Formats: sequence, C-alpha cells, structure tokens
Amino acid sequence: MENAYGTLSGPNITIRELQKDKISFILSDTDLSVANSLRRVMIAEVPTIAIDMVEIETNTTVLADEFIAHRLGMIPIESTDVERIKYTRDCTCSQYCSECSVELTLHVKCTDDRTRDVTSRELISSNPQFQPVLTDKNDSGILIVKLRKGHELSIKCIAKKGVAKEHAKWSPVSGVAFEYDPYNKLRHTHYWIEEDEKKEWPLSKNAALEAPPDPNAPFDYNAKPDRFYFSSETVGSLQPEEVVSMAMKTLLDKLAYVQMQLKEEVDMKKQDHTSWGY
Amino acid sequence: MVSATKDLKQGDHPAKDGFEPLLNETFAGKHLTDPIPEIKDKWKLLPAFLKVKGLVKQHIDSFNYFVNIDLKKIVKANQRVTSDVDPHFFLKYCDIYVGIPERTDADAANQPYTPHECRLRDLTYSANIYVDIEYVRGRTIVRRKKVAIGRLPIMLRSQQCILTGKSEAELAKLTECPLDPGGYFVVKGVEKVILVQEQLSKNRIIVEMDKKNNVMASVQSSTHERKSKTAIIVKHDRIYLKHNSISEDVPIVVAMKAMGVQSDKEIAQLICGNDHDLLDLFSINIEEASKLKIYTQKQALDFIGSKVKVNRKISGPRRPWADEALEVLATVVLAHIPVENLNFREKSIYAAMMVRRVLQAVNHQVEVDDRDYVGNKRLELAGQLLSLLFEDLFKKFNSDLKLNIDKVLKKVNRTQEFDVHNQIILHGDHITSGFIRAISTGNWVLKRFKMDRAGITHVLSRLSYISALGMMTRIASQFEKTRKVSGPRALQPSQWGMLCTSDTPEGEACGLVKNLALMTHITTDNEESPIRNLVFVLGVEDVNMLTGAELYQPNVFVVFLNGSILGITRRAEKFVHDFRRMRRAGRVSEFVSIFINDHQRTINLSSDGGRICRPLIIVENRKPRVTQQHINDLIAEKLTFEDFLKKGLVEYLDVNEESDSNIATYEPDIIPESTHLEIEPFTILGAVAGLIPYPHHNQSPRNTYQCAMGKQAIGAIAYNQLNRIDTLLYLMVYPQQPMVKTKTIELIGYDKLPAGQNATVAVMSYSGYDIEDALVLNKSGLDRGFGRCQVMRKYATMVKQYPNGTHDRLVDPPQPDSELWNSTYAALDADGIASPAEPLESGSIYINKQVPSNTNAELGVGSGVQNITYKGAPMRYKSPQTGYVDKVLLTTTESDQTLIKVLVRQTRRPELGDKFSSRHGQKGVCGIIVQQEDMPFTDLGVTPDIIMNPHGFPSRMTVGKMIELLAGKAGVLAGKLQYGTAFGGSKVADMSQILIENGFSYSGKDYVTSGITGEPLSAYIFFGPIYYQKLKHMVMDKMHARARGPRATLTRQPTEGRSRDGGLRLGEMERDCLIGYGASMLLLERLMISSDAFEIHVCEECGLIGYAGWCQFCKSSKKMKSMQIPYAAKLLFQELMSMNICTRLMLDDAL
Repeated sequence: MENAYGTLSGPNITIRELQKDKISFILSDTDLSVANSLRRVMIAEVPTIAIDMVEIETNTTVLADEFIAHRLGMIPIESTDVERIKYTRDCTCSQYCSECSVELTLHVKCTDDRTRDVTSRELISSNPQFQPVLTDKNDSGILIVKLRKGHELSIKCIAKKGVAKEHAKWSPVSGVAFEYDPYNKLRHTHYWIEEDEKKEWPLSKNAALEAPPDPNAPFDYNAKPDRFYFSSETVGSLQPEEVVSMAMKTLLDKLAYVQMQLKEEVDMKKQDHTSWGY
Repeated sequence: MVSATKDLKQGDHPAKDGFEPLLNETFAGKHLTDPIPEIKDKWKLLPAFLKVKGLVKQHIDSFNYFVNIDLKKIVKANQRVTSDVDPHFFLKYCDIYVGIPERTDADAANQPYTPHECRLRDLTYSANIYVDIEYVRGRTIVRRKKVAIGRLPIMLRSQQCILTGKSEAELAKLTECPLDPGGYFVVKGVEKVILVQEQLSKNRIIVEMDKKNNVMASVQSSTHERKSKTAIIVKHDRIYLKHNSISEDVPIVVAMKAMGVQSDKEIAQLICGNDHDLLDLFSINIEEASKLKIYTQKQALDFIGSKVKVNRKISGPRRPWADEALEVLATVVLAHIPVENLNFREKSIYAAMMVRRVLQAVNHQVEVDDRDYVGNKRLELAGQLLSLLFEDLFKKFNSDLKLNIDKVLKKVNRTQEFDVHNQIILHGDHITSGFIRAISTGNWVLKRFKMDRAGITHVLSRLSYISALGMMTRIASQFEKTRKVSGPRALQPSQWGMLCTSDTPEGEACGLVKNLALMTHITTDNEESPIRNLVFVLGVEDVNMLTGAELYQPNVFVVFLNGSILGITRRAEKFVHDFRRMRRAGRVSEFVSIFINDHQRTINLSSDGGRICRPLIIVENRKPRVTQQHINDLIAEKLTFEDFLKKGLVEYLDVNEESDSNIATYEPDIIPESTHLEIEPFTILGAVAGLIPYPHHNQSPRNTYQCAMGKQAIGAIAYNQLNRIDTLLYLMVYPQQPMVKTKTIELIGYDKLPAGQNATVAVMSYSGYDIEDALVLNKSGLDRGFGRCQVMRKYATMVKQYPNGTHDRLVDPPQPDSELWNSTYAALDADGIASPAEPLESGSIYINKQVPSNTNAELGVGSGVQNITYKGAPMRYKSPQTGYVDKVLLTTTESDQTLIKVLVRQTRRPELGDKFSSRHGQKGVCGIIVQQEDMPFTDLGVTPDIIMNPHGFPSRMTVGKMIELLAGKAGVLAGKLQYGTAFGGSKVADMSQILIENGFSYSGKDYVTSGITGEPLSAYIFFGPIYYQKLKHMVMDKMHARARGPRATLTRQPTEGRSRDGGLRLGEMERDCLIGYGASMLLLERLMISSDAFEIHVCEECGLIGYAGWCQFCKSSKKMKSMQIPYAAKLLFQELMSMNICTRLMLDDAL
C-alpha cells in the first residue's frame, strides 16, 4: 500500500533494544517533522519530578547553600507516577501542598573523625512513590557533599513537577540520538572528503538495518525519509519506554489543545457572524 | 693532487676498505650503525629542578640572602655609634639576626602567628630584628644580647617564615595552601609582591652611540657608598672623560696624567698597545694636552681641580685644587675600582681600556655593544631592594640615636646612670614603619642614592591561581613606558630560555614587562676573593705588573672579574677550560660564569647577583654526560637535582656564557662543537604561557593574548579559598582540569587548581547571534552548572574609638512589629550585624553602625553616656543581584580597634554578554542561549555546550585550538588525558587513529543533525571538547543605565561613572553629529535641559546677573529678564568675576 507519502497504515514502532535506562527503536512510516517532534518532546517536555525548592535549616558544610541546592536539583527522582502530581501553577494551594509537591528531608551530622559522604540515599521522601533514583541495592546514591567532623546539614526539599523547557533538571533523558538515511541516499548532507568517501567516513551502526544503495541507481529526488532510528538514555526518573509513551501523550495533548483552540475560534467566529445578522 | 682525490674516492666506497665485517657485526641484537637511543624522560630533570628551586625561588633566595648575609654586612659597615660629647662612649653592634614572626603584644599567650591570621586581621607578618650590642655604661663595658631594634616584614616561605618546610597536612592546619608559592609579604593584611626590577648591569663598560652619533663608553659604578656614572666620549674627534662631579669634560690625556701616568709614551701604549691605526686616531689627544701646557700630574690635577663641583656642605678651609681633584678621581670617578694609598695604577689601566674600546669602535674594529642584550641586564630582587632600604633606615636609626645620646650626655647632672639600651628600646619604630611604609606604598625613597622610585610593590592578584603565579615571575623594566622606542621592547634572541617569549602585556607596557621562563634561576652575590685567588692560581698574570705593550699583545686575553681587570692570560682556551672544570667539580660556586669575548679579546668572569641563568646538560665528546641510568635513578628518587650539579652532569649558564656555548636543542642535533644539551625545549616558555596546548601551532600574538587572558579566568584560587576574606574573590563552582594538558600544567599544579571547563564545542554557524566572535550557549548546560561562578565581596568597617572617649556602636534592628521596622533590617541579627546565610537585597543593611555626632569636642564634666548622641551610619548592600552573607569576621587590629568584615556571596550563572575564552587568545561573549532541543546534535545525541563561529579561525590562525579539539576528543574516547606540550605533545596522527578506532572521522568532524528541523546539516561539523575559561568580565558588573539620578554638587551636572549611578555622556563627536543633522532642539534638551538647566535673572542694562528680579549693579528691577542657561555657564561667569573679569550678557531678542 505504498505511495509517495509512505504507507497508509500509519506510523510504526519497532523496538530494537530495551534496557533499564536505554531504549533504541525505529520509528517508521511517518514524516520527519513528526519524528523530530517526538525527539524534542522527549528531551524537553516530558514532565518529571525534581527538587525545586530547598529550605536550609543548618548548613555548616564547606559548600554554599545555593551550591547544595543546585546539586539537589540535579538528583533524579522516581517519577513513574508523575501524573498524580499537579503542576504547582494548576494547584489551588498558595505555595505548595502534597497535591503538587513531594517533600524530601535530609539531616546528616558528621561525628566521626573521617570524611562522611552525604548521598541521595539519605534523602527521606514524604511520598514513597517519589524516591531519589537508585539503580540497585548496592548503589551508594549520588554524592551531594562531603562532611568532616562537626559539619551538619539539615534541609527540607520541595520537589515539584516540571518540564525541561524550564530547567534541564526535569529532563528525563540525557540525550536522544536520532538518525535516518544512514547511507545518505536522500543526499541531505555532503560528505567532506580528501580522497575517498568510503574510507574516510565510517558508517553508523544503523546502516546495518538498511540495504546499501545500488551505486548505479539514479537519484530519486522525490524520496522522503520514513525510517527514523532513535536511541535514548534516561537519567533514571522514568523508564525508557515510559519516556517515549509519555512524550507521545504530551504531543497528543498538545495537538488536542490546538484542536480545542481551533474549535473555540471557529465557534467564536460563527457566533460573531450570527450576531451581526448576515 | 690526483692521488689524493683517488684516495678520497676509495674512502667513499666502504665496501672496499676491508672493515665490512665489523660494520655487519651486531651486538646485543643491535647493529653497530643503529642510532643510539635518546635519553628518555629527560624532562624529569625539570620537576626535580622545581622541587629544589620552586617557581618563586628567586624571591625567596634573595630574601634569605638579605637576612643571612646582607643584613650582617650592612651592620658591620655601620658598626659603631660614638658621641661627639663623650669621647669614651661607644656603642658597637656585634651581630644582627631576625627572629621568627611573632605577635607585637608581649603578653600574648601564643607568640607566633600565621600568615593567614595576618591576612584576616589586617596585620603585618613580621619578625623582630635583634642585635647583640656592646656599649659603655658609666665606666664599664656592657654586653647585651637580643635587643630588638625594629620589625622586618617576612617573606612567606622564606627561612624565617613558619610555613617553610611544613608538610601538606601541617599547612592545612595553618589554613595555608600547599600550592601557594610564597615569595610575597603580608603587610596590613594585604599581600604585597616586590616585583623583580630589570636594569642595566653595574660596573660594566658599555660602548654605544650617543645622540650625535659619536661613540661613547660609559660605566655605571656602584659600590655600597656610592653610585656614579663615568663616560669616555668623543667630541670633535677628541676623547674626553665626562663625569657629573666635574663640570667640564676633561681631555683624556689630562685625566690620565692626573692619575699618575705622566709619560705620553706610556699613555699611548696603555691605550693603543702597538696598534698604529689606533695610535693615529689617538695622537691628536696628546697634542691637545700639550696645547693646554699640561705635562705633569700636578698640572693635570690643578686643571681638573678647577672644574670639580665642590660639595659646599662640608664647610672648612678650602683645599687646594689638586687635592680636590685627587679625591674626586680616587673616590668618585670610576668608583668601583678601588684606589688604595693613592695607587691609581688599576684605575688608569681601566680608563685606558675604556678609551681603547672607544677607539676600536670608532675605527670599526669592534661593533658597539647592545644595551638590550639580556647579558647586559641585571635583575634586582626583593632582597637587594630591602637591603638598600634597611641600610638607609639603619643609618637614620643610628644618627637619630647619636643625637639622642648627645642630648643626654650633654647634661652634666643626670638623675640616673646613662644606659643606651633604654634609648634603643624607647627609640620608636623608625625601622618598622619604614619597612611597612615602603612595602605598602611601593615608594622607595632613598636620599643617599637620590633614588625615588614608585611602583616597586604591587598587590598580589588573586583573581586566579595563575594570575598570582604570573605575578611572582613578572619582571618590570626601568624604562619609561611613554617613550616610543622599540629597542627595549623587542624580543631579544638572548631571551631564549631565560625570559618567556610569549608572556608580555599588550599596549603601553608591551615588551617592557616580561616574565621569567620556567627553568631559570637568578643569582645572588658571590664572594669575589676566592675566585680572584683561583684565577691567579690558574696562571693569570696580575695586571698591576704589566705595561700597555704586554696588555694588548695579539695572543693575550684580558681577564675581568665583575667588570674589573684582574690580569692577562696567554692561553685563554685552557684557562677557561680549567676554570669550568673547577666549577663543575664544585670548587667555586656553580653560579660563577665565565666566557670568552673574542672581539674584545677578554675573558669575563661574573659572580654578581641578578644574573639570570638556567641549567643545561653538559655535552662532552658528542655525548651528553647525563645518561639513561642517571635519569632512571632520578625517577627512582635515588638522585636529586643537586646531585646532578655536584656530579658535573648539569651546570648553570648565564646569558653571557650561554652565548659562548654551543647548545644542542635535541640529542640528535649534537655536533662535535656542541658543549651543552637543552633539558627540555618547552622551558623557553614561562608558567603562564605553559598552559597553552600546542602553542607552537599558533600565530604568536594569540599566545600572548592568552597569557593576558589566563590571568582573568575564573577558577579555583587556592586550597584555602573558602577561608579567605579578600576584597573580591571569583570562584568557579565546578572547575575541571583540561582534557589536553601540558607538562607545565602538571608542574605548576594548574590541574589541581584549574580555571575553566571542558566544553563540547561545535564549530559552526548558528542563528546569526554568533557574529563577531559571539558564542551560542546551551541552556541545559548552564542549568547543569556550566560556567557557574561565585563572586565573594568583602565589606569591612571599623568600630572606632575617638580621642574624646566616644566610640562607634552597633545597634540592634527595631522590633519587627514596630513602625520603624522595614525590610532593609531583615538580614540583621540582634548584634546589629547580618548573620551568615541571610539574603541581602539591594538596600539591605548588613552592619547597623552608629557614629557619635560629636567626635571632636571634649565631653563636659559630668555628662554621662546618656548625653552622647549618635547618628546612623548603616552599611547597605548595593548590588542589584541578591547576595548572601557568607561569613562575618569580628576581630581586633594591631591598634586594638574592632574590625568587622562581612563577606557577601553571589552565585551567578552565565548570561547574555558574559565573556568566555579558549586557551588560544580567542575570546568571545555569549550572544544567545539556546534550548537543548534546538541545538544541533550528533548521531550519538550529543549536543554542544558552546557553538563557535568558524569565522574565528581563518584570520586568527589558531591551529593549536583545532589540534586541542582533536586531542581532546581522542582523549575522551580513549578515556585518558592527552598532552599538548609545546614542541611536543600528542601527535595528530595518533589522535586521528584513536578517532578512527572509535568509529569517528579522523578529521574530528561529525555528522550533525539540526535540532530544529531534524534534518542533517549539509556540512560536517568540527565537534569536540575544548577547554574554555570564563573571564571575570561579566555583564552584571558592567550593565548601567539611568534616567534620573544624582548630580555633582559643584556643576549640578549628572555624575560620571557607573559606581555613582552616573549619566551617559553625549560627547563632542555625538554633538557634532547632531549639529550636522540640524537637530538643535534635541541638542538643547540633551546638553542643558536634561543636564544642568538653571534660571537666572539678567539685567538688560548692564548685562550682569542679578537675583530675584533685582539688579544689584543698577539698583533697579526695571530691565530684568529671566533666562535659562547651564549652571556650569553661570558658574564660569562667577568664577571669572572672582578673577576680576566682568562678563556681561548682551540680550538680543529678550521677551
């Protein structure tokens, strides 16, 4: 059922690899713009939970308050149930409440004569669904600060829902690799070469998934990209497949919102017309 | 002839000489003709050198020399203080020594203090100077030990400093950074460096062209007592002696006769030897003397005596002219050549030698000297400057003491027996305050030598670790900066290895301020007499036994020691060789240099201080003396650098001797004539230029730019940075060591205190906000901490006590519910000082101080504390960005005043307009901050932190930056750090190989997709890590605009400058534009209405300014008109009036 605009059956996803913090899949039978939108949403608009406010009660460590607050913000927090938390701006409360935030506390004092590491393990969450990410039991957590004898750190953190558009700490992924047309059949790029293209430019891994082009085949200037090779690594706050599905949902929501807006506009215009009595 | 060529031809064919089997032989698996392996890790000598010497050893050595030797010498020269009143009285200084730094208050519990305490408490890190004295008390001689006469500021890490020899853990206890080089002083809490001063060498003859293009030979004599300049000049083809204390130039033959060489024949011989060319040139001078009818010494002395400028201060009977002349010739002219018992022999030979050099230059036998040649320069260090100062202060101390003694001894009846000891103790702190004043102001004023130099000391720049280090190796030149001469500024070939070739500022001080290279040493003075003895033992004939004929025989070399003639030798090569052997064997100091000057036919020995020298490996018989075994032992720490010196494997050469040597840069370059081998070629650069990776691939000005910018980079400053309370401290939140290091970086510890971050850079154009070197930054990178920095600023105040018994006070803030309270009090604690961690907004009070309204008048009797009125003097925080109180320090100073220091911290993330730079002199400001999803990304999903415009490359030619990217990328992929050391470092081919092995293009270019469209970019992008520095110039500190604001009181015009919230000036050129355009009303508004418009009342009748519609001149209000003029104009009229100039305003079409 192929025509110039791809298959009519709609976009497909083939998962090639799925690990705890990695996913690699092929998005096919769709347009470049859709694929790129997915990539952009994965990076910037999938909501997660991250520490946003830090109330510092005691800080006698070597690091400054803002320094520690910044470090805390970067700690990924398990956000599978992020849907249950509202954005603070949508919440009825004045500053924050349990509906729109998670409270994490940390209180460490070093009493020994040796350096004590304070890690994300020591953050105690008020809501068990939203814990700092640990890869496994042996994971010592993310280092926040080191203490010497007499140093104390006592803080209350407010974690909130947000998106990476606002701050990179809310990004669920550390990067999204994205490629199409590994053989450059579409000639979207120009190889810079000294002598020989094949020698100088190593093919990407994704080239194994496509048939090498026939060197004698004429250039098809109507061809459009339709297979997109994605791979992404998460920071741990969300499962990789969740990131993809939530990204799609976010895209859908956005489109639905546009649709709604459109409808409203149309209705408005119609009302205007009727009221003028044409 | 024919047979000879035949033999040679046979020699060209080794196949026929019968030695073939020997050549084919192999030994231990190696062919005979195989190249000899080079010494590996030869550079390890450099860390060994730095371990003993350190980077600022020159300062510390010099200071130690001052404390240990110079101090004692000065005291010995001024040993006795006598009295004019009592001839029996004397005071004798037997010894002098310096204690360890101690507190001034005698009853303190722990006496020694640390430099860091001094920094925090605004104290001076100084130690007592003690003397052992012997003096007459009554009729007995009393001896006293350890009498303090003053305090000497102590150089950090010098012998006296408590930090010397401490381990890292011990230093940490003293809150001191182990990487801090020391070599500076802490005076009144400020770190002060005495910069190395460069000057022309003393006591050496310099032959050069004067302004009229005549040859002249001059010598700057410098002894402890006297400094003077003597010149031999050519005027109308005749030769004269010129000196400041003789009012007229003296014909040379007259001068020679005055010095006791009476026979014309002898004069001619002493000057010309048997050279007829020179004699022809010289004979006219002899004629001149006879024209003047001067034949004898007496006549000559009378002639000179009539022209001597007599020092009128010494009153007394007028001495005959001849005596006057004799004294001047003996002590002032050529003062460094001693004249004992009026034996002028040595001095006359010296003068003759100067004349000879002039004649040779006139005759073009020998070129004139180059005064910019580094070998003709001497460096003056902290020790020498301090010893000059101390000598002056000590002499003043003694003369003051003598006056006091005389005053007491004059009294016939004394209540108690006179004891000088009390006088010394009560004598005040002349020496202490003299030192402190000189070091803290940088003004060295010594009347004795007519020395008045400003800017000797500078505040140690703590902007970054490198800036502090760079300051310690800096050399300031004595030349005026305004003079537009290129000679002293130019790069000298003799700078090689001694002074950094790249590190010099741009602009007016370019080439005048220099920096030491990495592996240099500056000598201190060495005792002359042992060298003198050795020279005579090695067969030099004493000059006093010789006549001119012998002195200038063709095979004779004259031997000089520190510029004065010792004698001659006929076997120059052997003598020099023997002397060097003695030096290598350690019989004389390793810093004594010797070299042959073939043009002048002299052998010069130098043992004076201030010469730059550097170690080199000795080469003998085409083989370096240092072998692989030695290096291995060095690495295994079986040998130290000192051992290399003692064994005669390595020796120090100063610039002059270096020029007389044949130094191979690399081992394969050794030729039969080679005498030395370079230890490492990258040591021609200094500590600051050593940070640049691949500098040998850059255009040279770029390296110079980086040297200036490296000092402005924000990073880690010292391990004790968080304990410091400096006026301004910039710290980077996450500094990283560079991916591409250099050996210098490791040697100076830049990897431990870095100033920058490894940014992933894409070299491409993006968005148009990157023109003119602007950078595109990734917002996510900034979110995650890229380029984030902390700015700490100190705000200090004293709680003063006033003479009338009142004092300042700190007041608690009003109660939060009271009417007086407002948000500016929010940060204050109950003690009236903001507590740590409190946020300070603009306008917040951090010290709520009050000052008594009357600090002068005596309080009336009975007026209690209640009657004192106070006025508020709160200290308010001004910056627009919120700051946080980091630390509060409450302490007392030496004068028991309470001192409060508040350290306020700001954390800043990069914003539009902040300045960044790579290590290749490529600076740029942030032009736009872009979301991560909009950034281009590679096939691995990597987005760059910085996008740099490729137009930065072609004109700048910083190829080193490209190689840094390549090496950095390879390093990231291989998981190790790469080296970009000058004249070496990781090779591009190896780097490309690593890239290929990891599936990347060898060229460092990547396939990059646009984040906006998702399409690949049509070009491939040069992509990888480059070390970027954040520079201290940040928009927040510069941004300024004003609508309304303060005005200056005098002119009522808007104030000037950002700090005073000043207006932006519409200058002359802008004014011209508006005039040209014809926008007169706009001009009127800008220049008057918006500035200092003022309404005056002018009398139409007399044209004078009246007041309130009344003309005081005409005594009438009839013809008064009001008009607007600039207040400055009104001020001008009135000022003119005050000078008796009447200004009248002639009104034309007044309404």
